[in-house]
Amino acid sequence: MTGKELLLKALKEKGVKFVFGYTGGAIMPVFDEMDKLGTFRFIMSRHEQGAAFMAQGITRASLSTDEPQIGVCMATSGPGAMNLVTGIADAYMDSVPIIAVTGQVATGVIATDAFQESDVVGVMLPISKQTYMPLRADEVEKNVHEAFYVARTGRGGPVVLDVPKDVQNQLVAENYYFDAMNFRPILPGFFYHPTPAREPLQRAIDLINRSERPVLFCGHGVINSNAGKLLQEFAEKVNIPVAFTLHGISALPADHPLSLGMMGMHGTVEANRAIMEADLLIAFGMRFDDRVTGKLNEYARNADVIHVEIDPSEIDKNVATSVAINADVYRTLHVLLGDPMLTYKPRRRWRERISGFRQVIAEELRQEIASGVGDAGKLLMKTVVHQLSELTQGRDLIVADVGQHQMMAARFYNYQTTNSWFASGGAGTMGCSLPMAIGVKLARPAERVWSISGDGGFQMNAQELGTIMEQQLNVKIIILNNGYLGMVRQWQSLFFDGRYAGTPMLSPDFGLLSQAYGIPYRKVERLEDVAPALQQAIDHQGAMMLEFVCDPSELILPMIPAGGGFEDMIIRRPQPAGSASDSEGGES
Amino acid sequence: MKRRAILAFMLDRPGVLNKVSMLIRKKMYNVDTLTVCSSRKPGVSRMTITLREDDQARVNQVIRQLEKFTEVISVKELDTDHSYWREVAIVKLEVDGMHLESFRDRYNFEILNQQANEICILQVAGSTRNIDAFLDEVGQEHIIEIARTGVTALEK
Repeated sequence: MTGKELLLKALKEKGVKFVFGYTGGAIMPVFDEMDKLGTFRFIMSRHEQGAAFMAQGITRASLSTDEPQIGVCMATSGPGAMNLVTGIADAYMDSVPIIAVTGQVATGVIATDAFQESDVVGVMLPISKQTYMPLRADEVEKNVHEAFYVARTGRGGPVVLDVPKDVQNQLVAENYYFDAMNFRPILPGFFYHPTPAREPLQRAIDLINRSERPVLFCGHGVINSNAGKLLQEFAEKVNIPVAFTLHGISALPADHPLSLGMMGMHGTVEANRAIMEADLLIAFGMRFDDRVTGKLNEYARNADVIHVEIDPSEIDKNVATSVAINADVYRTLHVLLGDPMLTYKPRRRWRERISGFRQVIAEELRQEIASGVGDAGKLLMKTVVHQLSELTQGRDLIVADVGQHQMMAARFYNYQTTNSWFASGGAGTMGCSLPMAIGVKLARPAERVWSISGDGGFQMNAQELGTIMEQQLNVKIIILNNGYLGMVRQWQSLFFDGRYAGTPMLSPDFGLLSQAYGIPYRKVERLEDVAPALQQAIDHQGAMMLEFVCDPSELILPMIPAGGGFEDMIIRRPQPAGSASDSEGGES
Repeated sequence: MKRRAILAFMLDRPGVLNKVSMLIRKKMYNVDTLTVCSSRKPGVSRMTITLREDDQARVNQVIRQLEKFTEVISVKELDTDHSYWREVAIVKLEVDGMHLESFRDRYNFEILNQQANEICILQVAGSTRNIDAFLDEVGQEHIIEIARTGVTALEK
């Protein structure tokens, strides 16, 4: 057998069904073999970055199904591999296991600046969990199996396999034998502690039982370990409200009575105020990112911190813990739930305090959403998202891009389905939505998938409309077009004296663009058309694009300014200088 | 800033040194010294890194992130109270043999080569401070070239 055959055999054994990618000189032999075999569904992206995000979509969406899969993307050497970089760096930041297979120039010419040669291993090292470059065909199969093991063991992450062209074609010896079933990688330094230790668990229970003002944190780890149900049970059992990180959203229903919504920079008033006053934070599967904590030395100063996290290097990195539990979130919750020492406490005063926080801007938000339009009579993004949520009863899968509309989608969609929210968090990669939605749709074909982008991010990977056209994928595409890079514009209007440097953007006629790809399109400018347009997209069998003309001056609030603490939270739109605004943000 | 020594055992594979140095660069340190040798176990290397940092939490971060590499087997910090830190210097100097003999009782050096009583090559082993002191006492003006290994360390 040859290297390429062994590569594909190993991918098949690992349950891979889809391969996303783009061929080219140095990967042609693998593509040729794949075509002969016909065992994988090959999805040709229109840019390699798209392939990496599609692979992410598969991994993320399928992890809560009966058949979890690892997304695989494939590209040629040099520019092909370099185009994967952004998608891989994004997967690394968001702990998403994917496998990237790249072709490499033949071993005989490596490091001679051959045509389309790049040092792929060198480039990928700091943005991937591991890299492999098999130098002989008999290493290929072992490398693939080890790559899958590394990618999904412990905290997930991308793994890169860089396979020289001659190795793809090389024959293994007659007596080559590899026992895939019994293969266990020898990685003496790769520790993984899924089960929580007894002693810290005891101290955690003590702290939980004693606490008067506790808050639970639901991070990406809850989604990744499929522990949403357990966390809900736990929260109900101990009667503690839950705040979500961006990636923790949809682990439990967004309208659960104990839910505080998202925390951090664009988090809800109730989540951030509760954290500010808490005496105990119980964090599950998250890493206290700067967008979550704000200024570190002001963060939750009076709170003890229990940190349950699979990656030991995240514990005590940004926030000092009182109790560190280095373990899998699911197993930890499982053990905690079975512990009879854990008690239910009414904590009436804390509940009242929190319902006070909930009221701070609730009425204004309700009115704003109901009014539906901004100053110039253009649509509000939050209203569009809210109406989508109502129409779909919060049951659909939402794939957001990066920016203002992403925060709107995170805040105003009423997530009911477990693992139904997908976005780029740590890296914040614009353009991720359209390709990631393709992966999500392929992983969960029976569910409705919405890709929500701004006009800026959409144009970063708009070429993937070609993939949607070719594969006839039923992805509903929403463009919230406000003619600006909205999030940057928001910062400019708040902190840069309203000078809109580099943010106004002239977009093409999205109608003509979607027509070119044979995708039906509707432009929505009036509030009364929002719901009918969304309904039309729902009723249409197949992809449809909706463009909403939105108000550029809309803000996503509250907002904690970058580098600020929770006390600096901006709750209401600042009034122009001169007008009375004595009650700004001061009340609680 | 306080000097720290980090001892790490890792698989002897291509790219591992690259990963370690990249992590230290990412954490914005300049490596003071770095020594690598094979360990008693075949296929496992032993690395001693010294860098400067006052904040213990940041040192712990480096250690934990080093441990995260699949090739790295174990990492720990060695402090000066509970470990020996030593290095070797090879020095080429132009000096009178008699002058050198006067240091014999205080410094552990060995003359490797002496030509016509003028150019001398010697090796000296000891702590960083000890070697610095030796070089100062011999007289920097006599020294033509120095090669130092950097620190290697062993726990008591």
